[in-house]
Amino acid sequence: MTIAPASTVDTPAAAPAVTALPTSRRRFWRGVWQALRRRPSRLFGALVVVAFVVLAVIGPWLYPARLPHDPDAIYAPMSLKHPLSTDFEGVDVLALVVTGTRSVLLCAFVAGLVTVVLGTAVGLFSGYRRGFADSTLMRVTDFILTIPGFPLLLVLTTVYSFGNPVQMGLVLGVIGWGALARAVRAQTLSLRERGFIEAARGLGLPTRHIVLRELLPNVAPYVAMNLLLAVTGFVYAQVGLFFLGVLPLNTNNWGVMLNFAVYQGGALLTPAALPYLLAPLGAILLLTLGIVLVVDALDEIFNPRLRES
Amino acid sequence: MTTLLRRLAGHLARGLVMIWVVTTFTFFLVQAMPGDPVSAQYELLLQQGMSPDQAEAQTAVTYGFVPTGSVWSQYTHYLWQLLHLDLGVSVKAQGVKVSDQVLSAMPWTVVLVFSGILISFLVGVTLGVVAALRRSSATGHALSLSGSLLHGVPPFAIGLILISLLASASGMQIFPSGGSVDAEYVPGFNGWYISNVAWHAILPALAYALSTYGGWLLAMKSSVVSVLGDDFLLAAELRGLSPFTRFRYLARNAILPLFTVLALSFGLMFGGSVFIERIFNYQGLGVLLFNSIGARDYSLMNGAFLLITIAVILANILADLLYTVIDPRVRRA
Amino acid sequence: MKRSLLAVTAALVVVAGGLSGCGEKPKAANGGTYTSIDANHAINVSAPINPYNGASNAFQGYNAMKLAWPMNDLVDLNKFYPGIAKSWDVNGDATEVTIHLQPKAKWSDGTPVTAEDIKTSAAVAYTQGGGVFALTPGTAGALGDVQVKGDKDITFTQAKGNKNNTFLNSVLQTWVLPKSVYGPQLPDNFWDLVKTATNADPAQAEAGKAARDQITALGKKLVAFGPQKDVSAGPFVLDSVNPGEALLKKNPNFYDADKIAPQQVKLRNYADNQAIWNYLINGELDSAPYTSTPTDVVNRILSVKGNQKITGLSQVSAALAFNESYAPFDKVQVRQAIAYIVDRAQVQKIGEPDSGKVATHTTGLIEDAANKWLGAEQVGKLNAYNVDKGKAEQLLTQAGLTKKDGKWFLADGTPFTFKIQVPAPFSDWVAGAKNIASQLTDFGIPVEAQTSADFATYQSEMAAGKYAAGLWLVGLGPSTYNAYARMYGSANGWAPAAGSVTRNAPKPKGNWINSPDTADVAGLGSVNPGELTYQLSQLPVDQQKDTIAKLAQFTNDQLPMIQMWNYVNVQFVNSTRYSKFPPNDCDCLRLPHGVWMQLGYLQKK
Repeated sequence: MTIAPASTVDTPAAAPAVTALPTSRRRFWRGVWQALRRRPSRLFGALVVVAFVVLAVIGPWLYPARLPHDPDAIYAPMSLKHPLSTDFEGVDVLALVVTGTRSVLLCAFVAGLVTVVLGTAVGLFSGYRRGFADSTLMRVTDFILTIPGFPLLLVLTTVYSFGNPVQMGLVLGVIGWGALARAVRAQTLSLRERGFIEAARGLGLPTRHIVLRELLPNVAPYVAMNLLLAVTGFVYAQVGLFFLGVLPLNTNNWGVMLNFAVYQGGALLTPAALPYLLAPLGAILLLTLGIVLVVDALDEIFNPRLRES
Repeated sequence: MTTLLRRLAGHLARGLVMIWVVTTFTFFLVQAMPGDPVSAQYELLLQQGMSPDQAEAQTAVTYGFVPTGSVWSQYTHYLWQLLHLDLGVSVKAQGVKVSDQVLSAMPWTVVLVFSGILISFLVGVTLGVVAALRRSSATGHALSLSGSLLHGVPPFAIGLILISLLASASGMQIFPSGGSVDAEYVPGFNGWYISNVAWHAILPALAYALSTYGGWLLAMKSSVVSVLGDDFLLAAELRGLSPFTRFRYLARNAILPLFTVLALSFGLMFGGSVFIERIFNYQGLGVLLFNSIGARDYSLMNGAFLLITIAVILANILADLLYTVIDPRVRRA
Repeated sequence: MKRSLLAVTAALVVVAGGLSGCGEKPKAANGGTYTSIDANHAINVSAPINPYNGASNAFQGYNAMKLAWPMNDLVDLNKFYPGIAKSWDVNGDATEVTIHLQPKAKWSDGTPVTAEDIKTSAAVAYTQGGGVFALTPGTAGALGDVQVKGDKDITFTQAKGNKNNTFLNSVLQTWVLPKSVYGPQLPDNFWDLVKTATNADPAQAEAGKAARDQITALGKKLVAFGPQKDVSAGPFVLDSVNPGEALLKKNPNFYDADKIAPQQVKLRNYADNQAIWNYLINGELDSAPYTSTPTDVVNRILSVKGNQKITGLSQVSAALAFNESYAPFDKVQVRQAIAYIVDRAQVQKIGEPDSGKVATHTTGLIEDAANKWLGAEQVGKLNAYNVDKGKAEQLLTQAGLTKKDGKWFLADGTPFTFKIQVPAPFSDWVAGAKNIASQLTDFGIPVEAQTSADFATYQSEMAAGKYAAGLWLVGLGPSTYNAYARMYGSANGWAPAAGSVTRNAPKPKGNWINSPDTADVAGLGSVNPGELTYQLSQLPVDQQKDTIAKLAQFTNDQLPMIQMWNYVNVQFVNSTRYSKFPPNDCDCLRLPHGVWMQLGYLQKK
């Protein structure tokens, strides 16, 4: 990923209090809208992402806290009452998917946030400072990168029990920031040789200012795209761990549904529990599709070279 | 050449230190796990229908293999053994050497990892070039989309779908539903054995490849697009070089940054192979580690962790060295 | 690019050509290959051919034999099918057993199986410990003496002092090992060491301890030991092992070799139940061990040509267990109320639809065993706790709880809520627990099912008393002592000691049920269930009925646990290649399929 051109550097001239957005930012958002419109699929992607976020927020409010179960309607055929069939206890699958969105997205988002914050901070700081700070931070990054992630998670789940999505997100995020740190550091290393950084240093601006106001906006696009892609990665890491059965199965989470569908319902071998299996898979696919399309749009916004007609 | 050797030595030294750090970390983490191997084994035997007396008799001798003593003394003992390249003995398979078990499981994971990544890389890179060259047309867009979409589907999900389509429920038993190889074939470098191994490895490798080729596709596409704008290509065109030669220049330069990622992903896949191995019943390192966690087989866990870590570190070293070798621009001291 | 492509293709062609030329295609075995799965342990290439090892390549019933095979009898733990032991005589008070070996029994290398081999087997069993081969002096029921009486006869005598009625059962289930392989591994003075180690004389305590340590160290060495080539007294001999399966070939020297139809046996490895179901649907297995299978998968498996289902008795029951140190579970009315609220038929339907039967009465035994011991009429008089919400409310109010806005509160005002803990890998337990939780929540007691990452975590945290409620297996017969010890044994603080039973204080490690020492039951007076259970280990089978009746009534009234479902042993077989499978409810169903062959089943079609 290449860095955005220098036009996004903050200029002191944008200061005066105005009710409208400063011109550079307005142009930016117009560019976003144009990029989205250029390919209608991207608009679709953005809509999907927004829809999922909305579901995550309001989903659990649409249904009672304990979903009603009906032991006479186990794996019921799809009908108006149960559009996506039911699970092993007779709970409606659509309700499970909708109420499960919050925990999946919350965990993935927290994990993504932790990864991005840690990775960017470490990458920027060590890339800019170099020297001792750089080598120690890079050793730590190597350590994080070397530890086999999934086996470590398998062991961690027995030592601590992760009760809620935020806890899971924190742990997943802390394990996964290594690659981003390395990439951001690489970009910082090449950025710091650029003219405007030299100028800032020559002006005697403090490190904090240079890192936050000069370097960060330049790596921000890359980081933003990474955040979104990391969210997809963490969704599937979560689902994988639930599927293996090592995370607590008491939440309405899509991964829990997959686990039950395969092991309790034999979904791969008989058609009865198939909707119970395919519904969360479909949701994951849809979410990934949406995010990928949005990232595609962002990629074009930040990398004008891809803007071929 | 000497600079290369010196660099290699430096990498190896750092690698050894990293191995030591990771091993220490996992050792203490494993110590923190609740539960002990004997009672877990006992209850599981009861579940399988053994009478409590029989279960007790069967687990009685396991007591002798559970490590005792303070955590620190166990740790120093473990390090001492490691220095003698002795990985200890398993607790669940009482007395069987850990190195035997780990080294016999390792080649299977290596087979999976190599075949999976190779297929994924070749397919992804080729399609990536096509997607870049045709990025404004529907084909290019569809290719990128398919890649990123499949990238979001977990490999084990694709594996599950492949099994149900090609190996069981549909009645078409084209591929075996699991296992690494059939027992009648004599292991060795002969055609029947190797082809049988390959036969069993196709579905797992395919499952992995389908879910990861998207990453290569997108990376290659992005790389090709950046190289397309470089001056030397324009110069080549002006000089009248044939399109095929220009394509060669393009491909070679675009693929450079991907090689390091390729080396890194070999290492990464070692840790993540447990999903595919479980689904396909493939007796590799991932499944060994997973089972040893469930059985609280401490020495086996440490051994498996160690091997996976070594694989990752070797892959990293390879990646670093590879980049200096193939990209002359970086070769300056 | 073109040149390199050409080079690569040429290289591949050469390699392919070279590979296809060498090696031999393996010949298919005539007489048939029997494919199955050994559920006891996964296939491990590096494991020794030693039945004591947890991962061993000695497979029970195929190339590893016991003296006799236990019948799955409802009440009698001393019924066995002959194995290497053709018959046995027991003296009056069951303290002495004389075993007569099969006259034609031979090892796969041609040498006969003699009483000396059995004595060596006993020696190895001593090094491994457990059962009657206990080294600690004073252990209940320990072995005292082993005497070779002839070429094919050997006597086992129980040690004086602590009697235990599982002596015969334990002796007959000893692994039979060849002296030629294991004899050289034992020191010459081994039996003297055993005498010193089991000597209860306090003056010899130090020598005894040294001997015990020596034997235990030898045990550690022996458990990892195995012969290079398999020496088997069973119907098959191990030929080769690879990570996916083990191949065993027929042993022509087996004493009943003409009963055995297959020429070779393949035991396949499996990762989880899913893999077994896959194999069955592909028709790749001739028989499979018990797995807890969902109904739809059962139907799918049975729709494949040749697949059949055999069902039989399983003396295992899943129960909801309470930790009585968590209020309000110390009150019997609360436990009884929960029994009245939960519809156990629904729980069984959702948790274990195919391989389970609802547990009608909670007695501490499975329903069929209770009926056999006490008679269906007497069992019918016990409380079946049929769903009765009104009665439940009454009981809860009696216990001091109050209901507000449809939710129940404890006497001190805090809401009555708890979590049921289950291990995540047992999907049937998880489903069952979730349903129990849903039913209780519907009633007004908010309950949640929570999972532990794996079984070992679950088991250790339960033993440490961390859970208010969880699922627990009970009714593990046919030994009634074993069955009731699940409720009133070490998990509840009662531990057998010389001649009687002692009670550990509540909540040390291991005691998590925390019942009171005694309780009053209408019609029985004050009962100490731990002592009654201990008595069961002393009484011979035909004298146990009264004690069982008391314990059943006690359990039914006091409900330290509520039995949810009794397991049904369901096994799948495929009749395309072999016929004559054991019938439903056969006593042999829980035995390895190699034993089925020895009993004359599994003939070639």
